[in-house]
Amino acid sequence: MTYEIENVWSVLLRLFHWLLVLSIIALVVTGFYVNTPWTNTTLEGGGSFPMATMRYIHFVAGYLFAAVVAVRLFLYIFGNRQERIWGILPFTPRNFRGLIANIRYYSYISDDHDQRLGHNVLAGSTYVITIVAAIVQLISGYYLLYPEVVFWQGLGNAIFGSQQQGRFVHHLLMWYFIFFTFIHVYMVIWNDVKTPEGLASSMINGKKFKHKNA
Amino acid sequence: MEEQAGIVKLSSRVSRRNFLKGCSLAAAALGLSEAMIPKLLEAVESAQRPTVIWLHFQECTGCTESLLRGSHPDIGRLILDIISLDYHETIMVPSGHQAEKSLHDSVKKNDGKFVLVVEGAIPTAENGIFCKIAGRTAIDILAEIGPKAAAVIALGTCASFGGIQAAAPNPTGAKGVQDLLSGVPIVNLPGCPPNPVTFLGTVLHYLTFKRLPNCDKMGRPLFAYGRRIHDHCERRAHFDEGRFAEEFGDHGHKNGYCLYKVGCKGPGTFSNCPVARFNDVDVWPVSVGHGCVGCTEPDFWDTMTPFYERLPEVAIPGTGVIADVDSVGRKILGVAAAGAAIHAAAGIAKSKLIKKDKA
Repeated sequence: MTYEIENVWSVLLRLFHWLLVLSIIALVVTGFYVNTPWTNTTLEGGGSFPMATMRYIHFVAGYLFAAVVAVRLFLYIFGNRQERIWGILPFTPRNFRGLIANIRYYSYISDDHDQRLGHNVLAGSTYVITIVAAIVQLISGYYLLYPEVVFWQGLGNAIFGSQQQGRFVHHLLMWYFIFFTFIHVYMVIWNDVKTPEGLASSMINGKKFKHKNA
Repeated sequence: MEEQAGIVKLSSRVSRRNFLKGCSLAAAALGLSEAMIPKLLEAVESAQRPTVIWLHFQECTGCTESLLRGSHPDIGRLILDIISLDYHETIMVPSGHQAEKSLHDSVKKNDGKFVLVVEGAIPTAENGIFCKIAGRTAIDILAEIGPKAAAVIALGTCASFGGIQAAAPNPTGAKGVQDLLSGVPIVNLPGCPPNPVTFLGTVLHYLTFKRLPNCDKMGRPLFAYGRRIHDHCERRAHFDEGRFAEEFGDHGHKNGYCLYKVGCKGPGTFSNCPVARFNDVDVWPVSVGHGCVGCTEPDFWDTMTPFYERLPEVAIPGTGVIADVDSVGRKILGVAAAGAAIHAAAGIAKSKLIKKDKA
């Protein structure tokens, strides 16, 4: 059986992926601290600002998160064949059949797999949902960061109702990202074991191995 | 009467000096420049005192109680010299038919010119039978008098957003004034109670500039609700430096540290409490060691509870489970991990079975 190497992911997409990983880790860790500070300074005049520092890191990571989400949105429209959005949403008959086949394959019901060079439809749709969640997370985040700015106040009040509700949604969505990360890493490892296409390394070198069509 | 410690006499006689002090304080609360104070005084002292009609609906009279304890100016000065309070059920002399008469006379005489103050929510369920005055529902009274006002001041969280009555499941269908009245400028002064300085500031702004003050997206004047409590809090330094009261009465609490970890809602609440403070003795909840409960925000009874926790709890529909977000999150993640383990085990078992079949 011979394989050939295919270029799948552009440099920009790989950069997006790893900066998203970095920003999510920073945001979750500092976000937990901001919500439930696990340290307590009992000395006064120590000159340390743990909460201010954590908040600062959180906001910088938030801007990074915003930038990389914007990059992904750009790639959904202007990226390569694998990166564009219409190939991965289950709204065409072919993609819908692909989604069903993916679900059957993932739950060991069938060995037939809807092979795609890029994302399969199930994974790709989940990523689109995640990007939508990321946008909601960004809106709630900026609403909390700039509560006096008319634009964010209007948008945030319309969507969440109040600062406290915005914070609640922000916190719930953080759990979505933790949950997503866990499932994502598990499914990537699972796919990497099942199919010898080099899925895990494709996000590093951008290349996948495919059966050579004789 | 001999003045006892801590008890301030109510008096309508205010010296010129105290009157100027009161107006200056209100100007400061409004964020007006010193140069505006003479204009403000002129407006206050002019013969045309605005007629104010004060309607009580579904409420506890706490907003009025708070105003009675205001002293810049005190209630006597406010009623006798600054405004013409034609109808206010708590402090008016007439009762019964006489009270109704003074209400209708005043509305007729000042049609389109009076300021309407509403205190309390308006119940709308079952045609509003939960609140009736003189045999008429609150909805009817507001629908009749509201459109004739020049401006409406919704005083307190109930009149602004429905307040405690509107807490889920809101059996009486309580609503704020802005949900029921349109076509008239409405300003919301939420709070449980709102600071009398905020009320006075709004009235003086209206007197001086003939319009209501600039408001945020929820119709709350920016001079009083432009900043979150957290941003002007005297304990903010403790927050930034990571010094917290872990529980009431502990080392941190006794030393005046930040109340964030005992559920203070200051970071999500817009109000001037840390600046204006209450009752002439310069106190407000956080200064006496209790976190903010977020009473100026819509649906505060639903969204700010539990008062001593950071975030609302999650109710998972159909299960009766009510728990805090993080414990629910950890449990869901645990279920996901178990699911992944079962999934992986099933995969291994399947491949073993296939190998056995082939063998």
